[in-house]
This record gives sequence, structure tokens and C-alpha cells, in this order.
Amino acid sequence: MKQNNFSHRYLLFLFLLFPFFAFSQTTLTGTVNNENGETVPFVNVIEKGTSNGTTTDVDGNFTIEVDELPAILVFSSLGFETQEFRAINRRPIEVTLGESAQALEEVVITGLATSIKRSNSANAVASLSAEEITGTTPPPTLDGALYGKFPGAIVNANSGAPGGGLSVKLRGATSIQGNTQPLYIIDGVYVDNSSIPAGLNTVSAASAGGSSSNQDNPTNRIADINPEDIANIEILKGASAAAIYGSRAAAGVVIITTKRGKAGETKFRFSQSVGWNEAINLLGVRDYTEQRVLDSFGEADRAAFVAARNAGRLVDYEEEVYGENGIISISNFSMSGGSEKTKFFAGVTHNNEDGIVKNTGYEKTSLRLNLDHSPEDFLKFTLSSNYIYSSSDRGFFNNDNSGTTIGIALTATRPWDQLFPNENGIYPDHPNNSSNPLQTRDLVTNRETVNRLIMGGTVNLDIYKADNSNLELILRGGLDFYGQQTRAIFPKELQFQKLSNGGLNGVSAQGDTQNKNYNLSAFLVHNYFTDSDINFRTQFGLTRENFNQNTQLITATGLVASESNVDQAANTGVNQARLLQEDSGFFAQEEINFKDMFIATVGIRGDKSSNNGDANELFYYPKASLAVNLNEFDFWDEGSAWNQFKLRAAYGEAGNFPPFSALFTSYNAFSTDGILGISLIGVRGDADLKSERQKELEFGTDIGFFNGRVNLSATYYIKTIDDLILQANLEPSSGYTTGFRNAGSLENKGIEIGLNTTPILTDDIQWNLGVNFFKNTSEITELTVAPFNVGAFGASLGTFRIEEGKSATQIVGSYPEGLRVIGNAEPDFQMGFNSDLRYKDFQFTMLWQWKNGGDNVNLTTLLTDLNRTSHDYDEFGADPSGELPNGQYRPGAPPEVHVEDASYVRLREVGLYYTLQKKKLAGILGGSIDSIKFGVSGTNVLNFFDYNSYDPEVSNFGGGSIFTGVDVLPFPSSKRFLFNVSVNF
Amino acid sequence: MMKKYIYKILFLASTVGTLVSCEVQEFNDLNNAEVDAFEENLTRGDLQDLVGGILYSSRVRLGTYYDDCGVIGREYYRFSGSEPRFTGDLLGREGLTLDNNTFYITGPWGARYRSVKNANLILGFIDGQDLSAQFTGAELSATKGFLKTFIAYELLLNLNLTDDNGIRLDVDDENDLGPFVSKSAALSGIRSILEEGANDLSNGGGEFPFILSTGFNGFNDPGSFLQVNNAISARVAAYQEDYSAVLSFLDDSFLTLDASALNTGIFHNFSLDQTDIVNPLFLAIEGLTAANARIVQPDFITDAEAGDQRLDDNVVELPEPIMQDDLSGNFAVFRYKTNVDDIPIIRNEELILLYAEANINSNPGETVNALNIIRGSAGLDPYTGPTDPASLTDEMLTQRRYSLYAEGHRWIDMRRFDRLDELPIDRPEDDVFSKFPIPLTENQ
Repeated sequence: MKQNNFSHRYLLFLFLLFPFFAFSQTTLTGTVNNENGETVPFVNVIEKGTSNGTTTDVDGNFTIEVDELPAILVFSSLGFETQEFRAINRRPIEVTLGESAQALEEVVITGLATSIKRSNSANAVASLSAEEITGTTPPPTLDGALYGKFPGAIVNANSGAPGGGLSVKLRGATSIQGNTQPLYIIDGVYVDNSSIPAGLNTVSAASAGGSSSNQDNPTNRIADINPEDIANIEILKGASAAAIYGSRAAAGVVIITTKRGKAGETKFRFSQSVGWNEAINLLGVRDYTEQRVLDSFGEADRAAFVAARNAGRLVDYEEEVYGENGIISISNFSMSGGSEKTKFFAGVTHNNEDGIVKNTGYEKTSLRLNLDHSPEDFLKFTLSSNYIYSSSDRGFFNNDNSGTTIGIALTATRPWDQLFPNENGIYPDHPNNSSNPLQTRDLVTNRETVNRLIMGGTVNLDIYKADNSNLELILRGGLDFYGQQTRAIFPKELQFQKLSNGGLNGVSAQGDTQNKNYNLSAFLVHNYFTDSDINFRTQFGLTRENFNQNTQLITATGLVASESNVDQAANTGVNQARLLQEDSGFFAQEEINFKDMFIATVGIRGDKSSNNGDANELFYYPKASLAVNLNEFDFWDEGSAWNQFKLRAAYGEAGNFPPFSALFTSYNAFSTDGILGISLIGVRGDADLKSERQKELEFGTDIGFFNGRVNLSATYYIKTIDDLILQANLEPSSGYTTGFRNAGSLENKGIEIGLNTTPILTDDIQWNLGVNFFKNTSEITELTVAPFNVGAFGASLGTFRIEEGKSATQIVGSYPEGLRVIGNAEPDFQMGFNSDLRYKDFQFTMLWQWKNGGDNVNLTTLLTDLNRTSHDYDEFGADPSGELPNGQYRPGAPPEVHVEDASYVRLREVGLYYTLQKKKLAGILGGSIDSIKFGVSGTNVLNFFDYNSYDPEVSNFGGGSIFTGVDVLPFPSSKRFLFNVSVNF
Repeated sequence: MMKKYIYKILFLASTVGTLVSCEVQEFNDLNNAEVDAFEENLTRGDLQDLVGGILYSSRVRLGTYYDDCGVIGREYYRFSGSEPRFTGDLLGREGLTLDNNTFYITGPWGARYRSVKNANLILGFIDGQDLSAQFTGAELSATKGFLKTFIAYELLLNLNLTDDNGIRLDVDDENDLGPFVSKSAALSGIRSILEEGANDLSNGGGEFPFILSTGFNGFNDPGSFLQVNNAISARVAAYQEDYSAVLSFLDDSFLTLDASALNTGIFHNFSLDQTDIVNPLFLAIEGLTAANARIVQPDFITDAEAGDQRLDDNVVELPEPIMQDDLSGNFAVFRYKTNVDDIPIIRNEELILLYAEANINSNPGETVNALNIIRGSAGLDPYTGPTDPASLTDEMLTQRRYSLYAEGHRWIDMRRFDRLDELPIDRPEDDVFSKFPIPLTENQ
């Protein structure tokens, strides 16, 4: 509130002295509470559009006379979000005011500089409050907090390695070989979400077989963002909502707003969570018998098996490696407050998590300072700043071609093998494999360390303000700067590094990445209110974004003694990759609101970018939308239980840039016995390549009953992507194996339904129940190149295939008669259920997520079968004829045996809390404690799936493409249990 | 007060506005040299780097090429823990056939054509601009001769794999590739590329305008490299059974009928440098397991004449047999002793054997002479058998088998003399294939 609060109150008081001026009046009474159920005194209550008003008394009660019903009352008070209530009868009014940072749900973003009431929005924009993000349980990472909470997203963890590594895909397949991850914007700053590989390939040789995809499994950098700092997340799921973000918005936009201070008493909050994580699912050991050992491994192993069994020395190495309980500690302290002119929010969070494998873990420290300063009524500065240090030890997992990753080594390990170090700490060589997984676990370092600074600033200036129009200028700048170090160190004493075993005598791969993004923008917003109740809002803006990333990776082999410095080595190789992009654009938008009945918006964004063939050509991305609130029309029965009925339609276009190198045909530098040479990369670029263009049409309805106790939102969308950028096969005799071209179109159709209800609402019990449903189907509608396989390990093991008329995520396998469709990675549907039950001061929340359908290519089973160690090797079922046991049947079987249904049902989040309110704490510390909340919570506590590997949620190739779900011995996923305490004072 | 703020804000706004409105810069490929960059103003330094690229690219996937020839030619087994197709498809186990979209053909095939493209691009750069300020005419001619020789050699390796299925000869224009041609047309095409190259080299003056790796020592100027060109032509002519041409090419080659000069020739070099590759055929004997091994096909040992020193040069006996997929052997291939050993492109030992082969019908005495140089070098007594063409052919093929072991000749030799049916079958259902299919992505 502004400083004229008191004069307002004074005026209101004067008005209250003269009630006799009113005729045929209706008296409304009610109570105002805060979210904790306490009454709020001195709340301003004003009849909207008039100067009629009052304030609540010390018990939060108010009485107001209005001319006629219905009437809209506006409730506002210092530190609370302003709220409107539509009174339609004389029943006592109950209003709950949200604290301002947590009550942003009512508005959604529609322009780069503006937002709109949700009830007037023409798009199905999902938004999540702080309570939804962290209220049930502290999430491992920010993107890990998005599971199941709104319809339209597929969130998938690449592996269970600590420190994140997730993909978020909004509304289906948005690109085949381009970017599929949404754009993240935090307080106006474009935030980088790169995944920078650590150079493990030197050792794992994972891509030696011709698969050029990165299989290092790095973290994606959005994991740096501290979930505790976030006040609100809005998700623009497709072009119809995101067109104003233009050429980067095709995969959707995630807009994050952090917590800010409120004028008033300085508030402190301290929270501590302590707990552990443990593997969700271990596969187990094959049921060995003497005969089976003899048949599979020969006489020597049989004897070793018998000896070890008799001596009780059989070891479950899977349990040994993955069986740790990693300790988790999350500490958070924040304070906020300030005066009318200057407000602040400051917070510090420290996370320390151990993984389920020794020597893995994640540590993060995040510092935040948000400042707001209003030197004058018409001027406001806001500053958001965030420093993050994070460090993750991710172990050595996933696919390899050298038998060195821990997962691959375990498949070759038999329970009678002796792999533990002797009393001198010397590890034995693995008898059946090129690496000893215990030695690898204990000695290998694979660490990512990040120092990051994210800063954003905004200036709002009311240039002109009058009764029927105003003009505002908004200037905004943002900076995201980080340095990331990757350290992959393989000491020379490792079995596979020993020279006598053909090793490299130690590898030290050290990468350094400098990333600097900045964005600048300026907007003018003009509001014009007419006498005939048509309101116009016009905005115009200029934007500029600059992205600069430079990665240097030094790989040293042949390490001197126990040195890991890259100069202390026999051979050193250096790799540098730069990325530079400049974008510049403008946007203009016109919003017309007729009495909240019709809300129409048209807008256009024009963008140019250094990443287009012609850098200074403007590409235009239009949008248009219309929302109709039928409940605002005169014919609507105001007294009915049906109190919202909105129809909406929105159309928009957005772009997706070609991969940075796709414009060029280039050479790579090599050497031959000391002579430098350049040889073609083998990928032919296309200098005329166009950005992919997404066109999305969505329409839907929002319906509310019983004063908001039941809300239904349903949306249907059709999204086409034209000028698909494909890296298609070329005839290899041309000298190139693939080439980039715009070569097709893709269509997604989907439906999203969200239902939020409050089935029980009494003084003591409140139960909120939400259900969301999401289904998407994709189809390649046009393909001007020959169909091609992509994204896995070849058709004999099941691969994705891009083919006209087929789903973009179909999985095919090769059979004697040719290729056959044997699966599809796209889920049949996905549902989320969230329940929030409060009884007095107890709160019990649950979030269930159900993914039905969607197939994985599971090669974990194949690799364990090849080593004859599969847990179900001797069971039957895989062979349809019933002749061969699984382990013998699967390796030579047709590809469909590797394609498995990856459905799951999970209890994603669960929390049980008890809050000690201020009145019960009156005797402690002089009553300065406002509340203490404590409880237990968990992530992924219950998991139901019928899938023959660690977790159906997996991606060997990371999260960069739509082709997730390839399972090659990942870091197993884990569940978390936490005890939480938070104190507000 | 208000005025002051407005001025400040307007100043800030104009600053931001200036920044926002300026043009977007266009970037080149920031990380790699672009092909376009050489189309104008090719410098001597550029040419060195481009030719250096041929030295690199002609070695890529060579290991797969030699394994293809060595396994199908029953010289050795290739055991691999992660790759069952070496002992499956390549040996034709139980009805398995060679696939047209699998690494064993797509890998080497694509790599050889990549190398051809690297060379064709340089030829295009040379022809597309006036380089008289940078290079003499002779230097350009020498460069073309060198490149054409390499193009022909790379094409020949691909033809060795697909044989009767043919290859594409004309691949200069990536947007308009020439047709697949038959084996005989391919051989004559390759020979004429070599002859054009020979012509360019003979007009090439005294020096190449670039340096070559140590494997070219002795043949690193246009005049001596012409001898290499003729040596390769001799091999091609032998494949064409044009023996008079073989002899005349050998005459102009570096053929030396001398047992001490068997390893004269040109070689691929390898190093441990991070941007280089290591010898793909080297595997350490210590710690050798079925997970990754080349095991000698047992007949190679048992068929050898007593005292043949070439066994010691090429194989090592193992303490116990290594087996995989019902195949087994107790000798490992040890043709190369370190991971940076050179791999021959063409060497004098082959030329002596080609000389012997070309003389079988016309001059059997010379054949025996030549074969005896080889036998002597291996510690064997001179040849005493009959000198009719059939017997001499047998002996010549035997000497080629042992002299050129694991160098990719056995399968091709047995094929050109129609003797694939004489190769040993190790498992009852195995097949000996005569050629690889054309890769699927050639769209044939």
C-alpha cells in the first residue's frame, strides 16, 4: 500500500459518518482472516468503483452498506495481496487474505511487461505458488518440483545422480533435433539451462560406436536455482501464450518470480530439513546354483562359487554400491521487511546431500537479496540478485564401450568375485571385467562446480497518470553469469588406467565454462479507460538478448605420480567450444476489455538473430486471443451456484533456432604424427536454414461453481511445427553422413483438464483436492527427406524413427521382413492428484502422479544378460514359446524384447505437518515467535511400476531431445525422507 | 524533484534504447574452419592443413577395414565383448548375412569417401581461383597428382569391400553424385585417376608445397611419389589381371628385388597426441581377454612351413586358448608391437610378390626368383616345386598369405583367384562372403 493509506482511512471514516446519504441500501457483514485463520484488523473494504468503504475492526469484522447487489468489494491491507469479493446476497462474507508474495495466483502474464487477472486470461497458463513448490517437501531441484502439479508437462529425470539432470517438455514433441527445453526467465533475466559434458567420453568411449550424442549425463543448470526463494512460477506451455517471447519460445516459457519484501515488521524465517535418501529399486542378484554357475561361467567359477558360498563370502555388489543411505541437510534462513519506500528480502540456503553411492553428492549454497525502492509515488526500482555455489559429485555411470563405468562393471560382477581392497588399500583387478567397480567408485572423481551470479533490475516510471488514462515506462535488464568447472579424474592406479592393461595411465579431464547472458528491454504501457466501459491497454517494447558461452576442456592422459594437474601429464589435448548469439526484437500488443465480458488481445513480436541465415532479417510472430466471461453478462443468474463460465481461444506463433553449428559446413582439426590437418566434420550445414516455426491454437473453458469450491479448466490445443530442422542422412559417398535442412512438419494435438475442488470446508477441516489430466499425440505430417532412425542404438535393439504419417516418438525394430513399429515413447496419458487436508493445526498433503503408457528402450537388461548376471536370468516369461529362460532368450531375441512399457504411479510428494501458532508460543522468548511448523515429508516414497530396470524414468542421452527413455545402466533413482522444522519470528 | 528523476530516467531509457536498437552482428562458425573460407585466397599454410587432413582422414576406421578383410579372409577372429557381429555376421554364422546398415560396411565406406571429399575439395579450391601469387604451376600440378593418387587409393579400398556390387566413381559434386559403376568399370576408372595423377606428378617439379608425415620418407617429393603412384597402379592392374601393365607399372615404381628392402614404401603414422589416433590394430598381449582380442585362425599356424620366421613377426602364443562364440585359438595376432606402429599403405614386399605374380605365365623363372627372395627373407629354403602356372600361383598365394598377413590381402587374393571355397570353415553353418552390400543410405 501507498503512504496515503492513512488519509484514505480518514476519508473512509468520514464517509461512514454519513450513511444516511444512501438510499435503498443493503448491509453486508463479514470477517477477514489471514491464511493461518487469524482475523485481520484494519483491512480496507471498499465497494469497487465507488468511494464507499470501511475498515475491519480489531476482530476482523466489518459492516458495509452498498446500493445494490451484486456488489464487488475490494479488500486491501498492508502486507496482503489485494482481493476482490463479489457479494451476491446478504450472507456473511468470509474473506481470506493471502500474504502478498504467496497470492500471485490471481494474475497471469500476458505481455512482456504486464499481467492480467486469471479470470480474464485467454490462455491456460499454469501457475505454481511457493506453497505448491516447496510446501509439501523440499524438492531436490527446481525442475524436480514441477512433476504432476499441472497438466501439459512431461518431466523426466535422466538418472538418479545427485544434483539434478532433468528434462521438462511442454505439450508434446516441439522439435525433433532442435531445442525441446523451455526458456527459463527469473525476475526478467533469461537464465541459461545448458548441460555441459565433463569429457568422460575419453574414458567411457560411449560415443565411439558412432553415436555422437553426449552420454556424460551432466546436470542441467536450472538445478542451480534455489526452490526456497521462489514466490511463484508461471508456465506458458506453447506458442499461443508464449508468442511474445518470439524466436526462443517454441518449447514454452517458464517464468519464475522470486520472493520480495513487504513493508512492515521485519519477518524472519528459519527452516531446517534433515533426512536421507535411498535407492527406490534394486534389481537383485541372479539365483545362482552350482549347475547354473557351471553352465554359465565354467568349472573355475563353479569352484569359486562353492568356496565363497561355504565360507559365507558371497557379496551382493549391487547392494554394496547402491545401498548407501545418503544424508540430506537443507538449511534456509530468510528475512524480509522494510518501509513504505524500501523493501527487502534476503535469504540464504545451504543444501548438502549425499548420494546412494559413496563419493557422490550435491552441495549448494544460494544467497539472495531482493530490493524494492520507491523514492516517489510514480517511480519504483526493483533489484533481484542471487549468488549460487553448487558442487555435484556424480560418479561414473551410463553407457560405455570400455567396460569402465560402475553400472557396466557391475553387470560383469559375480557374487563370488573378490573386489574389496586388501589391508594395504590395494584393489584387486576384476577377474571378468576391465574395471573394478569398487575401485572406480572410491577413486574416480566426476565433479561439477558452479559459481553463478544472476542479477536483474527493473525501473517502473509512471510518466503520466490521469483518471481515464495512464502511461508507464518500464526498463529492465538482466545478467546471468557463471563459471563452471568440470573435473573428471581417473587416477593411474585404476585397473583400466594401468598401462599393462592397455590403459592411459591416468586421465584428468578438466573443463572450464564461462557463460554470460544479458538481456535488456524497454516497454511503454498505456492504459485508457473509456466512459463506455471499454478499456484499452497498449504496450510497445524493444528487447535485446546476448548469449556468450565459452567452454575449454583439457584432457590430459599419462598422469605423473598422483598429480591431477593437466600439465603433469604425458599427453594433453585441448578442446574449445564457443557459442555466441545476439538477438534483437520489438513487440507490440493491444488488449481490449469490455466490462470483463470480452477480453481480446492482439500482438506481434519481431525478432532478428545472429543465428539466422540472414542476421538482420526480422521474423514476425503474431498472436491473438479472446476470452468471453459469460458470467459477466446480464442474463447470467447471479444467484446460481454456477459462478464462472469462461470460453477462451488463443492463437500464437513462436520460433526455435537451428542448432548453433547447423549453418556451417566445417572442418575439424586433427593431427597425424605431429602434422596438423583439417578434415570434414561430416555434417553438411545449410546457410539458408530457417528457424522452426510453431503455430498453436488453443481453446478451452474455465468453469467455477459454489463460490470457487469447484473449478474446472479444460483446454484443447493443436500445435504444428513447420520447417522442422532435421539432421537427415546423406549418401555417404558425398563425403557427408548427415546434413541439416528444413525438411518437414510436425503436429501435436492434446487435451488438458484441471479440476480443483474444496470438498470440505469447515472451521476445523479444509480439504482441497486437485486432479489434472494430460494427453498429447504427435504426428510427423510432412517429411521431405527419407525416413531415418535416430536417438538410440540401432534398429536391431529398438530405435526411434522419423517417418511421415507416424508419431514422432515411435520406436521401431528390425525384423527379417523389414522394420516394424514396436513401441512409442509418448505416454497414453498422464494424471496428477494432489490432496491438501488441514485439520486445525495439522496439515497432510500428497501428490500422486500417474504416467500411463509410453515405452522405453531398456538395454540394461540386455547388458546384464550378456554377462549372465541378470536377476531374472533363470526365470521364464520373455520367450513366448516358453523354451528358453529369460537370460538366454533375450540377447538374441527380436527387438521388441527390449521395448518395455514405462508406466508408473508414484507418490511424488507427501508431507505431514503440525503448526504451533503464536498463541501457544506466547510464553516463549517473550512471544516473539509467530509460528513453528514441523513435520515429516518425502519424495518418491511409493513407486509402482512393472519395469525390468531401476526406474522407468531414465534417459541415457540426457534431456536435450524428445528421445528420452533409453535405459543403459543409469545411476539408480532414489527416494527421500526428510524431517522439517520451520520457525517464523 | 520529479523533474530530476524524469531526466535521469529518460537518460537511462535513451541508453537502453541505443543498445537495443543497434544491429545484430553476424557470426561465422566460431569453433571450426568453414569450407567456404578456402574458396578464395587459399594460402600455402591453408594447403598444408588441408593436405594434412588427408593424412588424417585416410586413417579413420582403417581398423574396421582390416578386421573386415582379416575376419572374412579367415586370417583371424575378432572377439569383442560388446560387438557380437564380428563373430556372427562376418563369418556367416547360422544363416546370418552381411547387413547393409551396420558399422562393418558403413564405417569404413563413409570414412574413405570422406577422405575422397577432403581431396576433391582441395582440387576444387585449386581450380576455382587464381593462385599464381602463392604457388608455381609445378607446385599446383604436384599437389593435384598427390591428391589424385590418394583419391584412387581410397576408392580402391571401398571397391575391395563391395567388389561386384561396385562403387560410385564420380563423387565430386555432392549434390549430383555419379552412378554406381561395375567392378571392372571401377577398376579402370581408378586406374585412369592414377594415370592422371602420374601425369600431374611428372609435371610437378622438385618439391611438394607441403610437408608429409614420416611414413612418406623417401617418397616426399613429386618424383619419388610418382613411384608410389605407379606401385598402386600395379596393384590395380593385377586386380584387372592385366599383367603386362603390372610389369610396366612396377618398372616405374620403387620395386627393389632385395630382401633387405621389404619395408620400403609409404606408411600411415600414428601417435598418442590427443588429436591424433593410435594404431587401431594394436592390442596388448598382457591381459588379453575375449572381451577384446584378435585371435589367429588356427590353420594359419598349422599350414605354415616349419621355421617360417613370419610367424614370429605376426603372432604370439598365449598361455591358454581364448574362446568366444564356439571359436577358439591359442595364438594372438601381434602384427603391430605398439599402439603407434606404422601401418603400410603399400610396400616393397607386396611389389616383389606382384612381380612374381605378373611373371607366372610369361616368365616363370622370374617368378621363382622373386618368390625365393621372399622365402629367403622368411628363413625358408628356395622353392623346389613345379613351375607350372597352377603350382606357382599356389606358391605365390601362400607367400602372400604369410608376407602380407593382417594387411587386408588374403580375402581379396582368394577372391580374385576364385578360391574363396578353399578358405577354412570353423563352424558347420558358417559362410564365406565374397562382397559387402552397398550401404543402405546410398539409396541404391
